[in-house]
Amino acid sequence: MLDIFPPDRTQYPAKKADGTLDIDLTSGKYLKLWQGPNHPGITGNMSVELTVCGDEVVEGKTHVGYLHRGFEKLMERRTFIQVFPIVCRVCVPEPDFNEYCYAACVEELAGIEVPEMAKWIRAMILEMGRINSYMMYLGGQAGALGQGVIGQWTTYVRDLMLDRFEELTGARIYHMFILPGGVRDTLPDGFAGRMEETLCEVEKTLKDVYDVMFCNAVFKKRTVGMGVIDPSWLEPYGVTGPNARAAGVAKDVRKDSPYLIYDQLDFEPVTGQNSDIYTRADVRRRDVWVSVDLIRQILAKMPKSGAVMAPLPNVLHWQIPRGETYVRGECSRGEYGYYLVTDGSGYPRRINVRGPSYTHAMALLERMIVGCNISDVAALMVSLHTYPPEIER
Amino acid sequence: MSFKDVLSPFTAWKHLFHDPVSIRNPIGRAAAPRYRGFHQNDIEKCIGCGTCETICQNGAIDMVPVEGIQTKQGDSGLRPRIDYGRCCWCALCVDVCMTKSLNMSNIYTWVESDGDAFRFIPGVDKKPWDDAAHGYRRPDDHQLTGPTRLREHMPEMEPEERIGSFAEIVHGYNVEAAKLEADRCVSCGLCVATCPTHMAIPQYIKAIRDGDYDLGVALLYETNPFSSICGRVCTRKCESTCAARHEGDAIAIRWLKRHIMDQVSDEQIKKVVGQPAAPTGRKVAIVGAGPAGLTAAFDLAKKGHQVVVYEALDKPGGMTRFGIPEYRLPYDVIDRDVDVIRSVGVDIRCNVRIGQDITLERLKSDFDAVLIALGLQDGRGTRIPGSDQPMVRKAVDLLRRVTAGEDIGTPRQAVVIGGGNVAMDIARTLARLQKKQYGEVKVILTALEDLPHFLADADEIKESGEEGIIILDSRGPQQVVIENGQVTGLKTWKVKAIFDEQGRFAPTYDETDEQFHPGTMVVEAIGQMADTSLLGDALTEQLAWQRGRLQVDAGGRTSEAWLWSAGDMVRGPDVVSAVADGHRVAASIHAAITQGVQQ
Amino acid sequence: MRELYARLKALYPLGELTEQRKNLAFVTVPAAHLRDTLLHLRDKEGFTHLVLLTAVDWLEEGQFQLTYLLNNRALACDLGLRVLIQRDTATMESIHDLWPTAATYQRELREMFGIDFPGSPRIEEEFILEGWNSIPPYRRDFDTLKYAQEAYAERPGRVTHDPETHMRLQMYPGQHPAGK
Repeated sequence: MLDIFPPDRTQYPAKKADGTLDIDLTSGKYLKLWQGPNHPGITGNMSVELTVCGDEVVEGKTHVGYLHRGFEKLMERRTFIQVFPIVCRVCVPEPDFNEYCYAACVEELAGIEVPEMAKWIRAMILEMGRINSYMMYLGGQAGALGQGVIGQWTTYVRDLMLDRFEELTGARIYHMFILPGGVRDTLPDGFAGRMEETLCEVEKTLKDVYDVMFCNAVFKKRTVGMGVIDPSWLEPYGVTGPNARAAGVAKDVRKDSPYLIYDQLDFEPVTGQNSDIYTRADVRRRDVWVSVDLIRQILAKMPKSGAVMAPLPNVLHWQIPRGETYVRGECSRGEYGYYLVTDGSGYPRRINVRGPSYTHAMALLERMIVGCNISDVAALMVSLHTYPPEIER
Repeated sequence: MSFKDVLSPFTAWKHLFHDPVSIRNPIGRAAAPRYRGFHQNDIEKCIGCGTCETICQNGAIDMVPVEGIQTKQGDSGLRPRIDYGRCCWCALCVDVCMTKSLNMSNIYTWVESDGDAFRFIPGVDKKPWDDAAHGYRRPDDHQLTGPTRLREHMPEMEPEERIGSFAEIVHGYNVEAAKLEADRCVSCGLCVATCPTHMAIPQYIKAIRDGDYDLGVALLYETNPFSSICGRVCTRKCESTCAARHEGDAIAIRWLKRHIMDQVSDEQIKKVVGQPAAPTGRKVAIVGAGPAGLTAAFDLAKKGHQVVVYEALDKPGGMTRFGIPEYRLPYDVIDRDVDVIRSVGVDIRCNVRIGQDITLERLKSDFDAVLIALGLQDGRGTRIPGSDQPMVRKAVDLLRRVTAGEDIGTPRQAVVIGGGNVAMDIARTLARLQKKQYGEVKVILTALEDLPHFLADADEIKESGEEGIIILDSRGPQQVVIENGQVTGLKTWKVKAIFDEQGRFAPTYDETDEQFHPGTMVVEAIGQMADTSLLGDALTEQLAWQRGRLQVDAGGRTSEAWLWSAGDMVRGPDVVSAVADGHRVAASIHAAITQGVQQ
Repeated sequence: MRELYARLKALYPLGELTEQRKNLAFVTVPAAHLRDTLLHLRDKEGFTHLVLLTAVDWLEEGQFQLTYLLNNRALACDLGLRVLIQRDTATMESIHDLWPTAATYQRELREMFGIDFPGSPRIEEEFILEGWNSIPPYRRDFDTLKYAQEAYAERPGRVTHDPETHMRLQMYPGQHPAGK
């Protein structure tokens, strides 16, 4: 087993026989501190129980459960179509991956072929969601280091993208648009033009963000060389997405095992080398450019017309034969997947949501936080880009 | 790190003089046209089927009665009330709405201090967005309740093949086709109220989906011991109130019923139906072994009463056997249903004519109760000149003779008067006989009604046409033409109107539009009446009558306490109505004779 | 996938291979051989990524199914190892030393399904549920609706009507078909 401590352990608490740390709080040497659950430096409600020695963290334990709604259990009690409106609620900033992965699982087990047009629309929605998610991240990452203005700008472009979501899907946050069988509707008239305007605005803001956040002495000082994920940790800790790509590994499900129509699009996964907070932020910033380009490609290449919904049986008593499958996609934080088990009844036997935050915010964060300065904890946590609801569902 | 990194952040200041991008007051902001906001419901269109409530995964919808909306056939009178404390705006309710009455407006902002105000009935509780032009409407190919059309048309014989014989035309669904058809049902239950005998339709359709045919049979027999027969010839009023007809075709409820009966063996049906209750020692006589009489017999026998059914003809079944042609309802199907009725202890005695072989008085003294369910066995006549000729015949009489195997002297050319199912039955029967005997079909059918108002089923009209029968609508019969003592045809005038301004039957004709339809036989199929001569003069005098029919109470009891009457003779001609009547009368008789036991 | 299965089958007593897609398959492994199979897959076959570890409750069959889903990125294929364990004893060997991140999954399984993984770090600690007072909630015999009804109050004023029943009461009250 990997030792979660670096070799030099002189300043850290001793280990007891059972492997836990011997922290004697009465010694006055250590202090317990809660980061969260509503600390502004955390995306979502999660907390880290820190043990500090001076201003250095010697132990961190992630605590989740503040957003637990028991989704996986709720899904077991709903028919296959009734599950569709609740899956998106697993993840607020990027709900569409839940809709896509769930729909794809059901389609696979029920043997439904999705119309071509629906695949293109799905891919576009996923890229739109990715931009939004990154926008929230950039604001959060800058905010964690005291740069409030970045958050204002990114929120603005996110809102513009939400306008596009609104006119396409009929909702801003929880779109409930991708459902088993396809998508609800086609693109509204003039959508491509308005999307192009929004994409231009995204690009403009990205340039501003680059100037103010990335070409910033303070930001660099605080993030370059900070919070390094060693490439050797990637597999043991199940690191995926930008966190892995910043360590130089071009892990990207869109490329590794293309889904929907990604094999018909032209793009390269964005990677970095240094694997520190700065690189991870930079990988994500550059990934937004990729998404902007992908949306343009999709709008240019997608069919001009066609059905968006496959014929479904009567969903009121839809039964799916016994089987199990796993469908994954590349969300803004890494590998997102749904594991669906059916038993021939009208209800799912089991659904397991595999969110990237599950590994990133738990074992990985607990590993990385040791030795970190208290004032850097927020920046470190945000840099892993985690959303607690994925962990507790 | 460079000098640029110190200066670059100051470029943020260039935004200092930009206008704010936020909206000052978001209340009332116009949402996108397809935004999913507060619901709109067209309560005139809504039929209260509750499919929206069924699909709602949040439990946000209640079906509630609304003042001013009456419960009626095909409309439960309930309307959805939505609790916006639960609604998640997923619009599945809109997606499955069978009438497309439920939609969502694009209005989503509403400020209100009373939390309970957010629970209301869209369309009934008036809201500012009721008339909003935009919002979520179900896109055209967004169909979640399965195909709107019949999954598979009932397989049947081709016209050329069927015209040559009396073999059953319709083949029946196989298991797979039945499952597909059953899958279209949304289980709303609106049909149950329309069915005269209130069969558990959604439940037995579910049994087909689940492949549980024993349960299906049990459900059928709860309300209808004539399920094999009704599965073929029912007037299927239920299908006229099916929620699916708002989207496309109604569910083929009749064929699904037949499918259940087709799937289960005779022995298994008897096992499912079970044995009667312990004998009560009470005795009931029933006159007439048609659907009403035998249904009552079945119910009473199951309750443990001793039941004897007297039938004047040589086989039980009544009009189902002697009125409906074999190609629509094969005789062995009737035998099958009757056999199950016998299995619960009903004693059916054929060839016994009450009034001749045994008197009604005798039944009165030998039994605790007597039920007469004679049916409508006499045809009505047109009374036009020439209609007293021997070659002017009544349809019911001819059909009875054909069933009995008698030679009716099939004419080479025939004219049928009437536009109902009986007219179609005799026309198609004559066509088959002509085809057999002479190799060609020459039947003309004339009716007062215009084609869209024919009383016959659309299928019957279509199939008659396919079989070579010429159908002439809006023709009023004037005279049977006779030359040298032989019928040569029928003279008709064009109908101008059938009813007068008060809605009374008073046809008017265009005398200038006269046609002659050649034929050596003219068949009248314009209605039936009961032959109640068995009652005898004294009893006829004693009994209360209403407009030519025996007057009965809700339970079918006549003004004489020992005598009940049921079926077509009191309800009008329809198998499933007769079955329903049989149940009603059986319950009334049971109550009366067991009350006697307690006294 | 078939070739991989043949190689594995020569080493371990595996169940039938279920090929769900061309790049996804599931196979049943006896609990005693799980560790060896995982090690072999990780170190020899390039299945280095533990995608997920979760459980399925086959209540009727008295078994829990543990699913260890492994991914080989180079081949872009996934293999799910199914391990069936007895529901009443519900214990399984921990694999936190193969993938540290498995400790989190095992903690969750212990809390949500009541499956024990002796030796797994902090396995005893509460993960998501604080002060839980019922059976492990993701077990099939835990009734969420019943629990919610007992634990929380309904909002008053809700009442609904079944269309079929309502129509009977309105249109033919008391006159119900025989047998009912």
